[in-house]
Amino acid sequence: MSEFVIAMFAIVGTIISYIIGRFVYRRFYTPFLLPITVATIIIVVVLLVGNVSYDTYMLGGKWIHSFLGPAVVALAYPLYQHRDLLRRYAVPILFGNFVGAFVGIVSGLLLAKLADIEGRLLYSLLPKSVTTPVAMEISEAIGGISSLSAVLVIIAGLTGAMLGPFMFRIFRIRSEIGRGTSFGAASHAIGTAAAFENGQLEGSVSTISMILSAVFTSLLTPLIL
Amino acid sequence: MWKKWFIIVVQITVLFLLSLFGTWLQQTFHLVIPGSVIGLILLFILLYFNIIPETWIKQGASFMTKHLILFFIPATVGIIEYYQLFSGKGSLVILITVVSTIIVFALAGWTSEKMAAWRRAKHE
Repeated sequence: MSEFVIAMFAIVGTIISYIIGRFVYRRFYTPFLLPITVATIIIVVVLLVGNVSYDTYMLGGKWIHSFLGPAVVALAYPLYQHRDLLRRYAVPILFGNFVGAFVGIVSGLLLAKLADIEGRLLYSLLPKSVTTPVAMEISEAIGGISSLSAVLVIIAGLTGAMLGPFMFRIFRIRSEIGRGTSFGAASHAIGTAAAFENGQLEGSVSTISMILSAVFTSLLTPLIL
Repeated sequence: MWKKWFIIVVQITVLFLLSLFGTWLQQTFHLVIPGSVIGLILLFILLYFNIIPETWIKQGASFMTKHLILFFIPATVGIIEYYQLFSGKGSLVILITVVSTIIVFALAGWTSEKMAAWRRAKHE
């Protein structure tokens, strides 16, 4: 098969998996079946069964991936629409994210110590709460493995997006300000996408939090280490 | 119908250019913040100071944020390359990631919610 045909299969397959993921989520409405989880599982299973490598899939996947940049830029629009509310709650959001970044690094360190994990594995783990490119930069700067960090970032994102509704109930976080901060601080853009499912304001708070948590984590990690 | 899609495509192109410009800024000045986030901040500033009107990006931006998760799927599928991570010490790293995420999730949201409520009470 020519590369073009493979790429077309990958692109169309990804979009179909996404549509199925959305349909399943609408139908059953459980956070364990988020569109991203369902779509990823479908594609991973197809690749494994068909014995197709990730590199081959990415011949088409990279085209969809290239829209991630503009999609992140687009988040400026809801931010702009909610600018007055966000300005009013700037201090709580800032403070929540500072606490989040600090706790994220320290809890990672302590838990790793408890599990007797150190060296490169530990350094790869610390920046897991922030968006992929920043996490990879931090990881590299402190001596971790950047591609491993990228995987852990995805796991942190999915954890927040999938367990979010349960955690809000357990920890009694009820406001859009609080929920948006949780999603953005712990689960970056994957959490932000989940926050937008709940509402525009919650998504906007999450967008700001994602940025703040990236800034705080890159400043705090070298200091704490 | 066609006009609507034409507008969306043109506006996504604007977002694309901003993202590329952000990446260029990041590489030129060796910034830690990713290019797309720099583009986000730039677009916010442009909108905030009315340098470009809302109508230039409205439909395109709404379309992109609505389908935000689609653009993450190829990167998430990349997990497939790390299946060996799910055994041995790697599984502990994953467990720590999950537990630490839960802690951050709870404390960050709790802090901002309580502070917001406290400030509201003080102003009343």
